[in-house]
Amino acid sequence: MSTPLSLSGLDLPRRNGELVFESPWQSTVFGLAAAVIDNAFGGDREPFRQQLVKAIAAEPGRPYWESWTAALEALVETLPERPVP
Amino acid sequence: MSERGHHPAPLSPVERRVAALEALLTERGLVPEGFIEEITRRYESEIGPLNGAKVVARAWVDPGYKGRLLTDGTAAIAELGFGGPEGDHMVVVENTPDVHNVIVCTLCSCYPWPVLGLPPSWYKDPPYRARMVREPRTLLAEMGCPLPGDVEIRVWDSSAEVRYLVLPQRPAGTAGMTEAELAGLVTRDSMIGVARL
Repeated sequence: MSTPLSLSGLDLPRRNGELVFESPWQSTVFGLAAAVIDNAFGGDREPFRQQLVKAIAAEPGRPYWESWTAALEALVETLPERPVP
Repeated sequence: MSERGHHPAPLSPVERRVAALEALLTERGLVPEGFIEEITRRYESEIGPLNGAKVVARAWVDPGYKGRLLTDGTAAIAELGFGGPEGDHMVVVENTPDVHNVIVCTLCSCYPWPVLGLPPSWYKDPPYRARMVREPRTLLAEMGCPLPGDVEIRVWDSSAEVRYLVLPQRPAGTAGMTEAELAGLVTRDSMIGVARL
């Protein structure tokens, strides 16, 4: 393998595109989904993805992170009442 | 003393829903302390299109790497330290003078996160998802990427099983550039396939 690249001097990711999150609630709900996927589904993202597909199909014109929120709400509904110890 | 500034703006409906989710999930012990701050920090400062740009630049300067990248994208991308435990299968599709590739996810927002970060807003919008499949040449032209009529356009619809990344053509006149300099030329949009370099 060749020498690793240095990051210095290159644009930060957010400048090589657009801002990642437009407001704090978006990063919060993104992180919440990641936490649920990691800690309730063992890292399996497919159950959340299926909810997201459904949420987007239900209201195609809804802003993306609102559909994401609806998907997470629906996924949380499927969790058992009490966490497995 | 004025009260102004002491009362934050009332929460919007979606902000209230997110706050409720956060409270519920925290109460159930599913959100370790600092988890959200850490993952946000990573996506805002570490995981982004620069990762993909480094993959592309390496492929441009190292034919052996390029071969591995086109054969087994997941493994070749992991060589540079990108990827994750998610198990996504990465497929890299190469642009040539005759073929232009573009990625889309018609169902939701599947996207090669480890190498491109989070998707731009237009990628998640219904018009892009629908039109890139139906009329890619027209949409690409509208997005500032007109293609000659004899260039074949291949549209790759991402899925739970496969995430695609476009390997753009190396621009002319870059023979003397270093790998790091080349990485600086590679844009997110070129790796989605809605721009050429």
